[in-house]
Amino acid sequence: MQYPDAIAKLIESYSKLPGIGRKTATRLAFYTLGMSEEDVSNFSESLKASKSDLTFCQVCGFITSKSDNPCVICSDPSRDQSKIFVVEDSQDEMAIESTHDYHGLYHVLNGVLSPMAGRGPEDINVSSLITRLSDHPEVKEVIIGLNASTEGEATTLYLGRLIKPAGIKVTRLALGLSMGTNVNYADQLTLTQAVNGRTEI
Amino acid sequence: MFLNNLRLVNFRNYKELNVAFSHSINVLIGNNAQGKTNLLEAIYFLSMGRSHRDSNDRDLINWSAKSAVISGEIESRTARYPLEVRIEKGGKRVLVNHLTENRLSDYIGNLNTVLFAPEDLELVKGSPGVRRKFIDSEFAQMSSNYLFNLLQYRNALKDRNAYLKNIKWVANSPKFDETYLSVLDDQLIKFGSAIILQRFSLIQTLEAYAREVHLAISKIEELKLCYITFPTVNEQSSQEEISEIFKKQLLKNRNRELFLKSTSVGPHHDDLKFLINGKEVGSFASQGQQRTTALSIRLAEIEMMKFETGEYPILLLDDVLSELDGKRQTQLLDFIQDKVQTFLTTASLSDIDKGLIKDPKIYHVKDGVLIND
Repeated sequence: MQYPDAIAKLIESYSKLPGIGRKTATRLAFYTLGMSEEDVSNFSESLKASKSDLTFCQVCGFITSKSDNPCVICSDPSRDQSKIFVVEDSQDEMAIESTHDYHGLYHVLNGVLSPMAGRGPEDINVSSLITRLSDHPEVKEVIIGLNASTEGEATTLYLGRLIKPAGIKVTRLALGLSMGTNVNYADQLTLTQAVNGRTEI
Repeated sequence: MFLNNLRLVNFRNYKELNVAFSHSINVLIGNNAQGKTNLLEAIYFLSMGRSHRDSNDRDLINWSAKSAVISGEIESRTARYPLEVRIEKGGKRVLVNHLTENRLSDYIGNLNTVLFAPEDLELVKGSPGVRRKFIDSEFAQMSSNYLFNLLQYRNALKDRNAYLKNIKWVANSPKFDETYLSVLDDQLIKFGSAIILQRFSLIQTLEAYAREVHLAISKIEELKLCYITFPTVNEQSSQEEISEIFKKQLLKNRNRELFLKSTSVGPHHDDLKFLINGKEVGSFASQGQQRTTALSIRLAEIEMMKFETGEYPILLLDDVLSELDGKRQTQLLDFIQDKVQTFLTTASLSDIDKGLIKDPKIYHVKDGVLIND
């Protein structure tokens, strides 16, 4: 006994999502059957729109709707045009934005260098950053905020080496203790980083 | 640290075994294929949660059964507690004091053992890879910083090799990003030089212990350990000097590496040399000397563990004595007597002078059954 085509395809689609196995996919599919006509069509339209209405900003690489290209931040003149914050993906940019403490521009790499995954310098959004910097001499500082992983580290060093010779200040996020951490709970490596990066008060 | 008793159910050829052990030397005697090594394997498994010779736990369960159990009572300086390992077809469970420990890494350390098996001769005779594996696993246990550097180095090496592999050749010249390769070089150098520096100092510690043990067993021979890395680097080199030399070597080999598409220099090609009275053990020493050397290294491990944990581990000697002459046997037994609980296997008692061992407990192993002498 097999499921009817329509539901079998729905299960198949759900199980393509990360962290969803066949069982969960089946449960979600049956839940969808019980949803109202309107909810389901909204859902399917949002899904479609995620492909048809979205693109990467031609300036910074942030995810943006096709009608807003360049993106909202890139076209906002009140933003501090002398700073560019480099992040790995759009979610990271949203995280920085939610602090409301940074008012400069962004640049989204959409990936980090990882030879193991077959991603070299030409596969991430680096060349557009370099063009952007040479077209906009008003940029005085590039802040690099990539993950503290081996790949993030390599990408940070790489960007530093590309940008610094042009006389632009390159900074990176501080490494060390996170807020609310007990010193004796922090791991060795974090502590070493925190000691090395200590600041004067 | 002592193992007071051992219970085996359906482990290898042991259907059911209950046995109490002496705190000094326990001798297991039996013909081939009776289960002597299986018993040592069981003790090792109780200690490490894995076998020293078989990677598939399923093979450890007796043919006729579905699951196996190893359990025993541990007596340490401060406490007595039972340890238990249950091996089932689908996986294993480890219990400390009747409570399940969810992570194997939390379980290890409740019973410390050092095993010396015939395969250990490879440490002296085998390829450099065997020795690198040995130093890496030894030092990783002693220093978490070393383990961190090692893992980072392996990642950096994998990345660099992957990048070299992906470089395309156009019209007989490689097309690659100079800046990116220099970043990959620097990461390799950063962790590689730290590893080299740490290996020098840790090998010195190991040597100090091994030299003493070796002298105690051989009486006249002086054992030296020599770490072989870049020719111009020695134990006095600072990390900056090592980095500098590493970098030069990478640049020198750049064209070759681009052609071979892999990293040709670094601590992943290093080696450890053993010297007896100035001569290399691997090529010039006798079989007996080689065995003594390998044994000294393992016994040095015992002393180092004692220093780290404050207690001697349990020593498992698989078929070691038959290859040593009478003198060395005596000195080995003198060395372990009265301080380390030892389990040793032998095919026949004539290999060992009974008088050498004070108050030995002798067990005859026959077809999965132990008979106390």
